[in-house]
Amino acid sequence: MKQVMHQSHARRAATMAGVALLAIQGLTPAIAGPREQARRLHDRLAGVPPTDAVLTQMASDIAGGQADAAAQLAMANKNFYNVTLKNFVSPWTNRDRTVFVPLNDYTATVIGMVRDGVDFSTLLSADLLYVGNTAGAPAYSASDNAHYQYLDDNNVDLQAALQPATQSGLLGLPVAATAGIMTTHAAAQAFFINGTNRAMFRFTMINHMCRDLEQLQDSSLPPDRIRQDVSRSPGGDSRVFLNNCITCHDGMDTLAQAFAYYNFDATSNQLVYTAGAVQPKYLINSDNFKFGYVTTDDRWDNNYRKGANQVLGFDAALSGSGNGAKSMGQELAHSDGYAQCQVEKVFRAVCLRDPGNAADRQTVQTIKAKFKTTGYKMKQVFGDAAIYCMGN
Amino acid sequence: MNRILRVPHLLLLGLGVVLSGCSGGAATTANPNGTTVTAASYTGPAPGTADIQAFKVNLWQNINTPNRCGNCHKAGGQAPMFARADDVNLAYNDALGVVNLAQPDQSRLVIKVAGGHNCWLSSPQACADILTTWIKAWAGGVSAGGTQIQLQAPVVKNVGNTKTFPATANDNGAAAFAQTVYPLLSQFCSRCHSANATTPQTPYFASSDVKEAYANAQAKINLDTPDLSRFYVRLHDESHNCWVPQGAPAVSCPQSSAIMLAAIQAFVDGIVPTQVDPALVLSKALSLYDGTIASGGNRYDTGVIAKWQFKEGTGAVADDTSGVDPALNLTLAGDTSWVGGWGVRFGPNGGEARGGAASRKLYDLIKGGGEYSVELWAAPANVTQEDAFMASYSGGTSARNFTMAQRAYQYEMYSRSSATDANGAPALLTKDTDRDAQASLQHVVLTYDPVNGRRLYVNGNYTGDLDAQKGGTVGNWDDTFVFLLGNETSGNRKWQGTIRFAAVYSKALTQEQIQQNFAAGVGERYFLLFNVSALTGVSQAYVMFEVSRYDNYSYLFAKPTFISLDPAAKPGSIAIKGMRIGVNGAEAKVGQAYAPLDTTVTDANYTAGVGQRLSAIGTVIALEKGPDSDLFFLSFDQIGSQTHVRTEPAAPQPATPADKPEASQLGVRVFSEINASMAAITGVSLNDPGVKSTYTLVEQQLPGVSTVESFVAAQQVGVAQLAIQYCDSLVESPQAATFFPGLNFAAAPATAFADTTLLIDPLLAKAVGTNIATQPADTDVRAELNSLVTRLASCGAGCAADRTKTIAKAACATVLGSGAVLIK
Repeated sequence: MKQVMHQSHARRAATMAGVALLAIQGLTPAIAGPREQARRLHDRLAGVPPTDAVLTQMASDIAGGQADAAAQLAMANKNFYNVTLKNFVSPWTNRDRTVFVPLNDYTATVIGMVRDGVDFSTLLSADLLYVGNTAGAPAYSASDNAHYQYLDDNNVDLQAALQPATQSGLLGLPVAATAGIMTTHAAAQAFFINGTNRAMFRFTMINHMCRDLEQLQDSSLPPDRIRQDVSRSPGGDSRVFLNNCITCHDGMDTLAQAFAYYNFDATSNQLVYTAGAVQPKYLINSDNFKFGYVTTDDRWDNNYRKGANQVLGFDAALSGSGNGAKSMGQELAHSDGYAQCQVEKVFRAVCLRDPGNAADRQTVQTIKAKFKTTGYKMKQVFGDAAIYCMGN
Repeated sequence: MNRILRVPHLLLLGLGVVLSGCSGGAATTANPNGTTVTAASYTGPAPGTADIQAFKVNLWQNINTPNRCGNCHKAGGQAPMFARADDVNLAYNDALGVVNLAQPDQSRLVIKVAGGHNCWLSSPQACADILTTWIKAWAGGVSAGGTQIQLQAPVVKNVGNTKTFPATANDNGAAAFAQTVYPLLSQFCSRCHSANATTPQTPYFASSDVKEAYANAQAKINLDTPDLSRFYVRLHDESHNCWVPQGAPAVSCPQSSAIMLAAIQAFVDGIVPTQVDPALVLSKALSLYDGTIASGGNRYDTGVIAKWQFKEGTGAVADDTSGVDPALNLTLAGDTSWVGGWGVRFGPNGGEARGGAASRKLYDLIKGGGEYSVELWAAPANVTQEDAFMASYSGGTSARNFTMAQRAYQYEMYSRSSATDANGAPALLTKDTDRDAQASLQHVVLTYDPVNGRRLYVNGNYTGDLDAQKGGTVGNWDDTFVFLLGNETSGNRKWQGTIRFAAVYSKALTQEQIQQNFAAGVGERYFLLFNVSALTGVSQAYVMFEVSRYDNYSYLFAKPTFISLDPAAKPGSIAIKGMRIGVNGAEAKVGQAYAPLDTTVTDANYTAGVGQRLSAIGTVIALEKGPDSDLFFLSFDQIGSQTHVRTEPAAPQPATPADKPEASQLGVRVFSEINASMAAITGVSLNDPGVKSTYTLVEQQLPGVSTVESFVAAQQVGVAQLAIQYCDSLVESPQAATFFPGLNFAAAPATAFADTTLLIDPLLAKAVGTNIATQPADTDVRAELNSLVTRLASCGAGCAADRTKTIAKAACATVLGSGAVLIK
C-alpha cells in the first residue's frame, strides 16, 4: 500500500518539479541582491541550500563587502568536503573518469589538503596521505579500500575526521619514492596496473594539466627515449609513426620513465616499488623496434620545455630533468599550466561552465596569479571563483 | 680509397646485427636439398680436389646446362669457360676468376647477371640471388675465414641548396602562407585543429592566429615535393575530412586535395631557393646507394627448398630464389603492391601471391623427411584480423598440408599429419595473453617434426605453445595443393600486411638456426659514410650509419659510429653534440633522435677498423623523393672545435580563444548534492536505513552533471522517489513535530489541514528559502500546495487513518523534489 502511494505521488511531484524547473530557468540572475548571491554562493560551494541563519550572515557579509568571509562560511559546511570536493576529485581517480566511485585515499588526500590549506603544488610530490580518525573504521590498508569505504558508507564528516599521515609510513614506500596522489593506492590501482605505466602519465596530464595527449602532440621533439615496444612502422606503414605515434611518445616516454620502478600487483592488490630495478613492463615487446630506447633507470627529462608545449610555462628554477616520480611531479606541479588547470577546474565546478569570454579568462588569470603567490591554497581558489559566479 | 675490413669476432660489438653473423663467414655449409637441375651426365675427368668437387656439386652442375651459362661459356665457347661440360677441373680454373668465395654476392658472375646479362628468369636480381646461393654453398664447404665488408669511401658531395620556410606567414606577398594555404586551413580545418575547437586537436595549424597556424603548419608542408605534403596526402590518399568544393554537388576528396595542392604549390613557388643554412656545421652528403651494401647477413639456409626475397619491385611475379628447381615462383594478384626495401604488401581488399604446379616441389621434398619449416618476415597491418592466412599450402578452406595464420594477437598453425585431420586441425594457437602477433615487422617461423609436431618461433624465441597433437607422419599430404601467401586458395581468408621474406625448408630448423636468421635481418641495408674529415681534422674520418629502407615511407638510421678508414688515424678527443640528420638540404623535421647526443670520441674508446659507436638508438626518417634521389647529410651542434649555436624557436603563443556561446548561469544539483540537500532540509540522517536504501537504488538515475540542458524526465522520477523517501522518514519520525509545529498528524485531514500554513510554511522556509528573489514566489508555491492538499483531502468519510500523514508526505515531497531545491 505504501509503495503504491509512493508511486502515484512521485508522478505528481515529478510534474511539479518540472514546472518549477522551467520557471526557474526563466529567471534573470542579473538582478541578484546579497541574499540571492549568498544562496548561490552556498549552493555552489557546499552543494546544499543554506539554513536561513547562514544565509542571512552570508548576505550580510556580502553586503558589507566581505564576500570572502561569506565564501569561507559556506565552505565551513561539511558538505563542501563530503559532496563538492568528493565529486570534484573522484573522476581523477579512475580510468573511466566516473564520479560514481567510493571515497579512496586519493580523494581523501586531496580533500584533506584543501581543508588544511596544504600547498597544492605538492599534490604530485608530497609524502602525504589523509586517513579518517573514526571509531569503528577498519585501519588503513595498503592492499584494500576498506577504510575509506567505511567512511563513505557511513557518511562520516570528512571535515572533522580526516587526519594527515605519511605514505612512507602507511604504504611502506621510501620517502623519496612518494609522489603525492600518484603513489596512492587508488591511483596505483587505476594507472599502474598492467600496461606500461604510460597511463599514469596520461591521466596525470588530463587531470592536473587539463590536457590529453592530443593537446600535447609535437612532432619536433627528439624521439630518442621512445621505448622498443612502440612500433616504428605499425602495420608496415611508418607514416603512422612519423605523423601520429611519435607526436605523443616523444614527450611522454621521457617523462613516464620516472615511473620505471613502480607497478601495481593485482594479486597482492598493492603498489610495488622496486628501487633501482626497472619494472619488466618497461621492457616488453622489445622486438617491435630493436633500436628503440631501453630503460635502465628512472631518469626523466622534460622535452616539453622545448617546442610547442613551452606554453605550459615550466618553472625556470627547476632543471627539467631528474630521477623518479617525486621530482617529475614537482616539475609538472610547478608549471603555470598546472596552476591554470586547477583554477579552470574549480571555475568549471562552481560556475558550472567553462571560462567563456574575456572577463572570465581575465578572472582565471587573476585567481591563478593569487593562487601561485599565496601558497597554492585551493580553498581560496574555490572561494574566489564562486564569488565571481555568484551573480550580480 | 677503399679499405678492406676483415670482420673478426671483435667487430661484433662494433658493427652489430649485420656484421654479427660474419664471424662464421659464409657458413651455410651443407648443399641445398633437392638439386634437381637437369645437368648433363658428366663423363669427364673426376674433380681433382675437394674444392673442385664442391664447385661441381654446388655451382657447376646448376649452370652448365644450355638454358643457363652452358649455352655460351662452354668448351670452345665464350671465355671464361666456367660452364664447360667436358672437364670440371678446367671449368673450376675459369670459375675462380669470376667468383668471390669470401663475399659471394660480390662475385663478378653475380654482378654481371644482376646487371641484366642473360638471366634465365624475368628478374635479373632473382638470377643473381640464385647464383649467390650456389656460390655460397660452394664456399661453405671450404671457407674458414670471415666475410669481408669492404667499406667504400664515397664520392665527396656538398649539401645542395633548398627551399626553406619564409620567416613569417605574410612573407612573399600574394604567395604568402597567409594568402595561399592558410585560408583553406582556417576555413576547413579549424573545427578540430584549433585551440578554439570543441575538441581541440593539435597541431593547431588552423588557429585563428595565423602566426600560430604557420608555426604548426610547417611540418605538414613539403617544400621540395609539394605532393608529399601531409595537407595534400591526408586529403588525397586518406580522405581525411574533405569538403564540398565550390560548385561541387558533394564532398570531393579529389577536388579538395587538388585545391590544397594548388595552394601549397603557389606558396612553394613564391619561395626563392636559399643556400643551406650557412651557420650549420655539416658533413658531406650522400644518397642511400652511395653507401656500401651491408650484405653478408649470415643466414642459415641449409635445407631451404623455396625462398622469396621480393627484390623484384615491379611486375607480377615474385621469384623463388632458393636455387632449388623447379622454381616455385609466385604470381601476385588482387590488392598487392611492392614495398620499397623489398617486400610485398597485401592490402585490405584481399591479395595473394600464388604458386602454380611447382608447388608440388614442397610435397616432393618434404614428404620423404617428414619435417619442414616455414619462415616469414611479416608485418601484420593490424591486430584485429582473424582467419587471416599468411602462408598456406592448401586446396581450400577445408583441406591443407599446412597454413600459418593470424588471429588478432595470436598466430595459428595448421599442419596435416597422421595426428590431425585433413584440414590440419585442431590448430595450434599461441597463447592469447602472450600477444605474440604484433602489428610490426616480425620474424615468424613454424617448424614441424614428427616428435614435437608444430612449434612457433617469433623473433627468434620459441613461444612455448606445445602442440597437444604432437607429431605424426605426413604421408597423407596432398600433392595437388598450391602454395600461396596472403590468402587461401579460395580467396576468402585474406591477410593484411607486408611480407618481406618467405622461405620453406625441408627440415625443422633449430632454435639456434632460427635465431641466426633473425639476427641476419631482412631487407637492403647500406653503410653510409658521412665525411667529417674537414670538421675533425682526422684523416678519412666518417660518421657511419647503417641505413635501410624501413618500408615504403621511411629509412631506418641505426648504429652511428665514428670511424676512420685510415688505420693509423687517432681521433684524440672529439666532442660530438646535437647531431641531426638532414635530407635534401634541410634537417628532417621529425625523428631527430640524435639531437640530444652528447658524447666524446676518444683514443681510449676508439678501435682502429671498428670505430666508436656513438649511440645505441636508431631512428626512422621520412622518405621524401626516394632512395635514388634523397640526399642525406649530418649537421652538428658541435663536432670537435666546430660549433653551431642553435637557437630554439620561441613557442608560438596560443591565440586568444574565441568567446563561447553564453552558457546557462544556473545548473542542476547532482546526485550527492540532491541527497545531501534533502538531508539538510528535512533533518533526516543520510544514514537513515530507508534513505540509504532508496539512494543506493536511484543514485545513478539522478543527475550526474550540473548542466540544465541535460536534465531528463527519468532523472526527475529518481528525484521524486528520493524526495518521497525523505519525507516519509521525516513524517514517520518524532522529528515531524519539530519540523511541522502545531500540525496534528493524528487528526483527520479536514481538521489537520484547516490551516495549511502549518504544513506549508515550514516547507517554504526550509526548502525554498525566504526573501530570495531567484526562488519561486511564496504565493505560487503556496497555491500549488493548497491545491494539492485540497485534492488529496477530499476523501470524505473514506479517508484512511494515516491520510493526514500521507498528505503531509506528498506536500513535502512535492517541494523537496521541485526545482526550488534542484536548481543551484
